[in-house]
Amino acid sequence: MIYNIYHKTTFHYQSMVSYSHNIARLKPIESEHQKLLSYSMSVVPCEYESHQFFDIFGNNNTHLVIREPHQELSVIGESKVEILEEKIQEKIDIFRSKTVLYGDTLERLSKFHIDDIEAKQFLFESKLIPTKSQKIKEYALESFSKERSLFEATEEFMGRIFRDFEFVSGFSDITTPVENIFEAKKGVCQDFAQFAISALRSIGLSAKYMSGYIETLPPDGKEKLFGADASHAWFAVYIPDIGWAEFDPTNNMIPQEQHILLGSGRDYYDISPLKGVVRSSGGSHLGVMVDVRRDVQRVMTQTQNQFQSQF
Amino acid sequence: MSIFESYVSEPSFDEVFDRDKNVRSFWKDIISDIEDAGLDVLKAKQADIDWHLEDNGVTFNVYDTHEKSAQRFWSMDPIPFVITQEEWAQITKGLEQRATLLNLIFKDLYGEKKLLKENIIPAEVVYGHKGYAPEVFDFGYKERFNLYFYATDMARGPDGKMWVINDRTQAPSGLGYAIENRLTMNSIAKELYPNIATKKLYTFIEEYKSLLLKLTDGDLSKAAILTPGPHNETYFEHAYLSSFLGIDLVQGDDLLSKNGSLWLKSLSGLKQINTLLRRVDDRYCDPLELNEESRLGVAGLVESMREDNLTLINPIGSAILENVGLIPFMEKICEYFLGEKLLLSQIATWWCGQKKELDFVLENFDHLIIKKIDRTESIQVYFVNQISQEAKERLKELLVQNPHQYIAQEEVAFSTIPYYAGEKVEPRNAVVRTFCLKNESGYSVMNGGLVRVSAQKDSLLVSSQKGGKSKDLWILGGSEDEIPLANFFKYTQYLETSIDKISTPKAENLFWLGRYLARCITTTRLIMHVIKKITNFYRYEVVTSKESQIILQNALTHMTMTYPGFLDQNNQKNLEIFPMHEIISVIKDSNRVGSLSFTISMLSNANMNLKDLLAFESSKLFDKMLHEWNEFINKNNDSTLSVADHLDDLLIYMMAYKELVKESMFKEQGLIIYEIGYKIEVALLLISKARSMLCVKLDRFIGHDVLEGMLNSVESFNAYRAIYRSSLTLENVVDFLILNPQFPKSLLQITTQLLKEFKLLPKAKTYLTSYEEPIQKAQKLLENIRLLDLMQTQENEGIYMKLDELLVTLSGLYMECSNEFSNTYFSHYDE
Repeated sequence: MIYNIYHKTTFHYQSMVSYSHNIARLKPIESEHQKLLSYSMSVVPCEYESHQFFDIFGNNNTHLVIREPHQELSVIGESKVEILEEKIQEKIDIFRSKTVLYGDTLERLSKFHIDDIEAKQFLFESKLIPTKSQKIKEYALESFSKERSLFEATEEFMGRIFRDFEFVSGFSDITTPVENIFEAKKGVCQDFAQFAISALRSIGLSAKYMSGYIETLPPDGKEKLFGADASHAWFAVYIPDIGWAEFDPTNNMIPQEQHILLGSGRDYYDISPLKGVVRSSGGSHLGVMVDVRRDVQRVMTQTQNQFQSQF
Repeated sequence: MSIFESYVSEPSFDEVFDRDKNVRSFWKDIISDIEDAGLDVLKAKQADIDWHLEDNGVTFNVYDTHEKSAQRFWSMDPIPFVITQEEWAQITKGLEQRATLLNLIFKDLYGEKKLLKENIIPAEVVYGHKGYAPEVFDFGYKERFNLYFYATDMARGPDGKMWVINDRTQAPSGLGYAIENRLTMNSIAKELYPNIATKKLYTFIEEYKSLLLKLTDGDLSKAAILTPGPHNETYFEHAYLSSFLGIDLVQGDDLLSKNGSLWLKSLSGLKQINTLLRRVDDRYCDPLELNEESRLGVAGLVESMREDNLTLINPIGSAILENVGLIPFMEKICEYFLGEKLLLSQIATWWCGQKKELDFVLENFDHLIIKKIDRTESIQVYFVNQISQEAKERLKELLVQNPHQYIAQEEVAFSTIPYYAGEKVEPRNAVVRTFCLKNESGYSVMNGGLVRVSAQKDSLLVSSQKGGKSKDLWILGGSEDEIPLANFFKYTQYLETSIDKISTPKAENLFWLGRYLARCITTTRLIMHVIKKITNFYRYEVVTSKESQIILQNALTHMTMTYPGFLDQNNQKNLEIFPMHEIISVIKDSNRVGSLSFTISMLSNANMNLKDLLAFESSKLFDKMLHEWNEFINKNNDSTLSVADHLDDLLIYMMAYKELVKESMFKEQGLIIYEIGYKIEVALLLISKARSMLCVKLDRFIGHDVLEGMLNSVESFNAYRAIYRSSLTLENVVDFLILNPQFPKSLLQITTQLLKEFKLLPKAKTYLTSYEEPIQKAQKLLENIRLLDLMQTQENEGIYMKLDELLVTLSGLYMECSNEFSNTYFSHYDE
């Protein structure tokens, strides 16, 4: 499956800003599950300088310096990403067929194993997921027992979040503590992902924050409006000897061909699409517009090719 | 009686006395010098020391609340901490080894991570510690990513050897205090310890300078010290180090980043910085990539490192080396990297993240000290034998829940040393801080250090935050080549204040210091005059007329822009009966923008930020003034006369302060910026007052009062009399204060002076700059207008229209000048 993604992030400042430093993370990563076919970025006002680098999590970062007076900064990332559905399916099949127990995972993580070193970065508290709450731990443990398959338990845990929590936008923002989300049992995809990560870390597992997009479809018979999408978030848990298993608690599904990964980190903070430092009085607010749609043209050309080759 | 007769040796090791109470041989000369001198001399020497330290302004700040910081003077004991040459040689080797080792760990953790991959250090010890900076995860491969400067806290263990207590790697403090201690000690040692030869410190400082020269390719102007600012506890030291290393002292605001590099903003433009000796903690150095709340760093600093355009002493990420969780693995790491045994003893330490160790810790819980490995946010140390059973259980629970976050250490009785505590000498614990510096082949160790003494007996908790008691560290034995230290470290305040090089934020503060000081003085004068009128202070037979009173009061509201103030239509009755209520609010209400208190607090900020540039007396005077002022504004129900008294005092302080500011700097240095700010403000306030007081048509009696007020508020009544000799007339006052080409306080004179001063600035051009243009226009207007034309008026008009129009135009021109001036010199938009 091929997707065209348009992701525009805008800072609106209360007063004029003449100098700003920003880091944009709008370029999707390449992995065994997805290919980046093309990517372009545009910045208004035009950047004075920019420089790209990879961070420790493998995400694409662009450092942007703006040096002209502006009251609004927009960064638009446009990418074409191919999702390798078969590879994803293969991986999911392995997760389902090869049972790794929760208890064995804890045992394994408590010791040295060369393959686990990188995953151990995701064991600990992080900036936006700072403390481990006893209540959240208890909630998580309802799904996890030592003799149970880690994958299966996490899948059930995801289902419980989906059922117990209500999707309500406007209740929270990214700084809302996980405990409050848990108390209120409502939030949006970022909250559910961060809650799940907090819970999994509290019971000794490595969990990471996945940031990206999900394809949404308009109601039957309606045209999809441009920009009607949003960025999406889900989580992944580390299963020794197999790897990171992804779960989307907002939709109660295991990401397959509809999820496009932008990048990952310990929490939202590591992969926020745009962050900046400005010298200015007054605050700023952030606007986001996202559009995700299948690359129809490409699909049509493929059909044409097939058609032609039949002759 | 012997001084040491009452000195009770503790059961632990004593530095001076052995188990049998005999003085150790290498202490004999020093102890007999002290005995010979006697307590009285010791007391006198202590007083000498205190005086020296205070005279040199050696202070450290203590954080009381987040807002205020109190300054305390540093104190040093006349009895040194002594180490023999032989022992020091051993310690030096051990320190060199440890520094080398820590640098290898540093480069590895931000590079190949072999220590993790080969199971030398558990990954949890690194990833579970907030000092690990993922932002620089691959910087370890860079040639200039090194632990350049390293401090080690040591204390003598029960076996008589110096043990390592802590490693300080981010931005170690203490070097400046150590040097100052030595200089101060030198001043008393000649008399007190005439025959003791000690190793000197200067070679270390020479090496520090060579390191900086190497890193800056021979151009020291590319290096700077990054300080969090005057509020920081060790700010004295930052200024001190900048002085004897000969490099700029800068704050985050002084720098900007572009083209993947850091630049120092100065009045003449931007200057590249490639080496920063930073005294700001890791996470606070860059709000873009590190702690976004930080206001102490520079956005883009990490990017400059990434682009290989910046060397930090020490690099971001070095906080990971302060991790006490590394201690249990140091032996293994040493074996791994160097194939050697660790030379320096450490305190026995267990990391609880391993089952065997955790079990041991839980079994021996009562005899251990438990510490959280991560001390980046707060230091958590539990002496298990000193806490309640309940707290013990809670702590055990924490350990079992998050074992990888804790270590346990054996409780060690460290050595004691005699300390002169006022009336007698008593034993105290002491921690020795030593310093290492990276050189071409390895590390050099300073032949001395900073010794901090515990505040009480039996306490190893030494911290400058808790009280700065210190000792000099003496390594016995002379140096081969004697260079008198005092000459070498001639302490001259080193601050770049030449007009071309002064840093932009300093210049901006000077500009605002001028503006706020002018505003304070003018406001105080006007308020005093209004109060004196209200209370009929001048004892005129005719009580001040109500009309003139109102005009004066309205002028106050206009000038301070404390609207609605006296102009409040809904409150006229109250204002008429109790004018003092409003006046007190304009004086005291610091939340009210434009009030005297508000302006003083702005002035106080500018003064604080310029502390290192201004004369020492000026900050003393300012502190005194502020202290009295705060007392005054927090007091209620003063009589009107006592308010006037306080304002009088304030005015005297401010005039004295103004003179001290002028004495601190040459005009060609930053002072000119201050002068310009001062003049622009004076002009703007004069215009405002003139609009309120000189443009209204009044009858003779009322007019007299108002004109007198106008002249008094610029302290020009006598000068007026001297020139005009006649009674007060509006025409003469306008001529005098606005158009007079000779009187220095007239608007025309101020305008002319400003134009001259502009020509001394670094960005002066042969043509008119954007900030000169409006002032040039103002000058033309003032020169070409005739007084008679200005005062022409129609019968039916209540105000002098022409004069008012002129003043409005002038006000606009001055505002324009101020804005353009700020844009040109303080913003660096176009460089």
